[in-house]
Amino acid sequence: MAAQPKPLPPAPQNFLQGGGLLGWLTTVDHKRVAMMYGVATLVFLAIGGIEAMLIRMQLWTPDNHLLSARVYNEIFTMHGTTMIFLVVMPMEAGFFANFLIPLHIGARDVAFPRLNALSFWIFLVGAIFLHLGWLWGGLPDAGWFGYANLTERYFSPGLNLDFWVVGLLILGISTVLTGLNFLVTIVTMRAPGMTYMRLPLFVWSMLVTVVLILLAFPPLTVGLIFLTMDRFFGTHFYEAAYGATPILWQHLFWLFGHPEVYIMALPGFGIISEVIPVFSRKPLFGYPMMAYSLVLIAFLSYGVWGHHMFATGMGPVADSAFAITSMLIAIPTGIKIFSWIATVWGGSLRMTTAFFFALAMIIEFTLGGLSGIMHASSPVDLQQTDSYFVVAHFHYVLFGGVMFAILAGFYYWWPKITGRMMSERIGKLQFWLTVIGFNGTFFPMHFLGMWGMPRRIYTYAPGLGWTGLNQLETVCAFILGLAFLLMYVNIILSLRSGAKAPPDPWDGRSLEWSVASPPPAYNFARMPEVRGRDAFWIMKYGRAGSRGVAMFMAGQTPPTPESQLQPPTEPIHMPAPSIIPLAIAISMGVMGAGLVVGYWRVIGIGMISLLVSVIGLGFEYPGYGQESHDPEHAPSSGGVDVRKVGLWAFLGNECVFFASLISTYIVYKSRSISGPGAEILEVPLTSISTFALLMSSLAMVLALHSIQNGQKPWMRLWLACTVGLGLVFLGVEAYEFTHFYHEGLSMQGGLFGQSFYTLVGFHGAHVSIGVVWLSTLFFASFSGKFDKSRSLSVELAGLYWHFVDIVWVVIFTLVYLMQQVKGA
Amino acid sequence: MSEATQTIDAPEQGGQQHHPGVAVYVIVAVFLCVLTAMEVTVFYLPALKAVIVPVCLVLAAAKFALIAMFFMHLKYDSWELSGIFIFALMIAALLLVSLLTLFAYLSHHMA
Repeated sequence: MAAQPKPLPPAPQNFLQGGGLLGWLTTVDHKRVAMMYGVATLVFLAIGGIEAMLIRMQLWTPDNHLLSARVYNEIFTMHGTTMIFLVVMPMEAGFFANFLIPLHIGARDVAFPRLNALSFWIFLVGAIFLHLGWLWGGLPDAGWFGYANLTERYFSPGLNLDFWVVGLLILGISTVLTGLNFLVTIVTMRAPGMTYMRLPLFVWSMLVTVVLILLAFPPLTVGLIFLTMDRFFGTHFYEAAYGATPILWQHLFWLFGHPEVYIMALPGFGIISEVIPVFSRKPLFGYPMMAYSLVLIAFLSYGVWGHHMFATGMGPVADSAFAITSMLIAIPTGIKIFSWIATVWGGSLRMTTAFFFALAMIIEFTLGGLSGIMHASSPVDLQQTDSYFVVAHFHYVLFGGVMFAILAGFYYWWPKITGRMMSERIGKLQFWLTVIGFNGTFFPMHFLGMWGMPRRIYTYAPGLGWTGLNQLETVCAFILGLAFLLMYVNIILSLRSGAKAPPDPWDGRSLEWSVASPPPAYNFARMPEVRGRDAFWIMKYGRAGSRGVAMFMAGQTPPTPESQLQPPTEPIHMPAPSIIPLAIAISMGVMGAGLVVGYWRVIGIGMISLLVSVIGLGFEYPGYGQESHDPEHAPSSGGVDVRKVGLWAFLGNECVFFASLISTYIVYKSRSISGPGAEILEVPLTSISTFALLMSSLAMVLALHSIQNGQKPWMRLWLACTVGLGLVFLGVEAYEFTHFYHEGLSMQGGLFGQSFYTLVGFHGAHVSIGVVWLSTLFFASFSGKFDKSRSLSVELAGLYWHFVDIVWVVIFTLVYLMQQVKGA
Repeated sequence: MSEATQTIDAPEQGGQQHHPGVAVYVIVAVFLCVLTAMEVTVFYLPALKAVIVPVCLVLAAAKFALIAMFFMHLKYDSWELSGIFIFALMIAALLLVSLLTLFAYLSHHMA
């Protein structure tokens, strides 16, 4: 039985108050974590913006040498990397989504508050890591896409790309953890009555986005792992001289890279879908179609990566397939644009800064979408690829579509987040400067591209007719910079002397406007009851809602339901602060730094620190594995524990990870031009280890059965059997690896060896983690507290163990039994 | 989906609903062993070389499904868990097939 929550001292007035510096370093409150993301992304936005200014200054005149070619490469690489990984994604998922999802769905926090804090600190460590190259001779300079084999040690010998590759791996961990957390939060922690079809559209967009994150990041992770191995351990995953193909990197990168476009765009769509109805005083037009079109965009986005690779020569069939899917994606996108316009049409409009940015987003994004359809046609794309036309296109999508939406959301939710209003006057000035600066900078790039100006060149010859438009772009880029400067001024003025924001300054429609501005730490004094879509609007005006419009037309103040503004009537149990997430993130940074600079002792220190931190987490969290009734890990409305949903989502992520590894193995096994091949594999020996692993799954499920029936000694016995059989499997694998090595199969010798060892080795690493996990459970079971109520801890470990088993079922078949079958 | 209805059924607490008994687990394990034995047999029989790919894939898929449904309890748990895993599995399969097809085409035309 779960412990009764202890009454806490009276909560501070709002989430921003109390705790001091230590309070922020140890916070697990989703709103504070969001604030930290917000501050970090604003800093990186300034850095990325300065990098953009430098690019434009360099292109001001022909034959300009303000920047050297190398520094120019570093600047455009870091501009892209910064804006994508350190500004747009963390601004949307880290700042907006973190702050809003629990408030939108009527929850007190996210599903895993400590994991949320850990995501932020890992993000910060990764972001700093990317910039550490400054201290060792320069920043990364191979483009944000890092095309192989430019990134190989032979062509890029410096540490700058080492920091880039390890930094991206660290950032990837942060993003995946955030994705897991939000998926579980949305699926399991919705307030009573908050069905899927009543979710605010922003939450829908984040639900789809996190699914994209979980399933799109593994190919990038695998691509980066290969690159790390090439740079640090002498493998040749991307070197044609060894039979490999650099095209593999492009596939793995764009398998992530195109869904990544929607990872950035969909939250922007969600923001716009919240802002437009409020300032139009109408419900969102076509809500179900808007939700379904998000899902369709996400699904199609997995099938369009090839349109980034038309120029590599994939062949007419593949080109046609990718062209069709790329064009198809315009249909759900068109539905969204139509629905936004239809929402505005006939509405009682209020022309606020947020609404201005939202309206402009529809126009600018449509322009970016139209040039996108041109890229979907492979013959047209071949003319435009690697030209400034592409730069114009993706800035219309990512700035015109996403940044305008972010700015709309920023002005819309700022009063809720800080409790202060921003200056509408400065906001509108910023808006007009942004529109002028943005279009003046990027629209002429369409022409420059069609006139033949390639992207990524650090200077150009005179007499090509490019100078005038380049100078116009540079002037407009500075106007855009001025617009952002105004935003920072507006932020400072608002924080210092802005008018106090009421709880519901815009007459909002969703639940966040029902609580105080800024919200209290516990979000809701009493859990809201959701009676329909636009939950707060219904609370205010009833289900018909037309009364709200009538009151607005008559100039009357909207009613303010007081229930959430009163103090709570009973103690609210909130998760305790923790320093462990920060400690884990620093440990990971130390390990990464040790790897890059080649000091194994530093890696060791990082690993020990990580181990101590994780053990500390266990002591902080003594209720692990209990059927929880506390609000932090309560079962969902569907009765499923949040940790179980989280583990399944993680396993989904692992499916794509192993699919990427297996694909590479099959592609490379027959391309190997040196070293032994698949004929070296031994089926009889591996059949024994396969049998051991299958039987370990039986033992595992019997251990779960035993603890669920209160038979603790039997559970221990079956757990010991599982661990023993896992060790047998690992022992056979170790023998096999040693034997193969003596036969001449090495990581550096050929493509077969490196892809085999990587695939089977990663599976072995998973088995080893499982063995450690199950051994921990075995020893923990001797504690008096370990009883039937903690069977979930055995179930979670079992799920992981069975998954490792089914991955082996696939590997055994594809690698061992089909060894004679020619690869792709 | 009607807006007035709840979308989630409410199964038993903790998601530990209707897990099968020991007998079912043992039967599944026996099936897994038999299927593995069949796979290895196919590998060693020269007469079946031509069909080794489809036969082994079907047998592996059957093993995969048995473990996921019975040992991992997808057959008995919430539809949300099955949805999460099956969608991910579908994307993983799509990725695998797409990459193999694209590289097969590339190899064919480079040869």
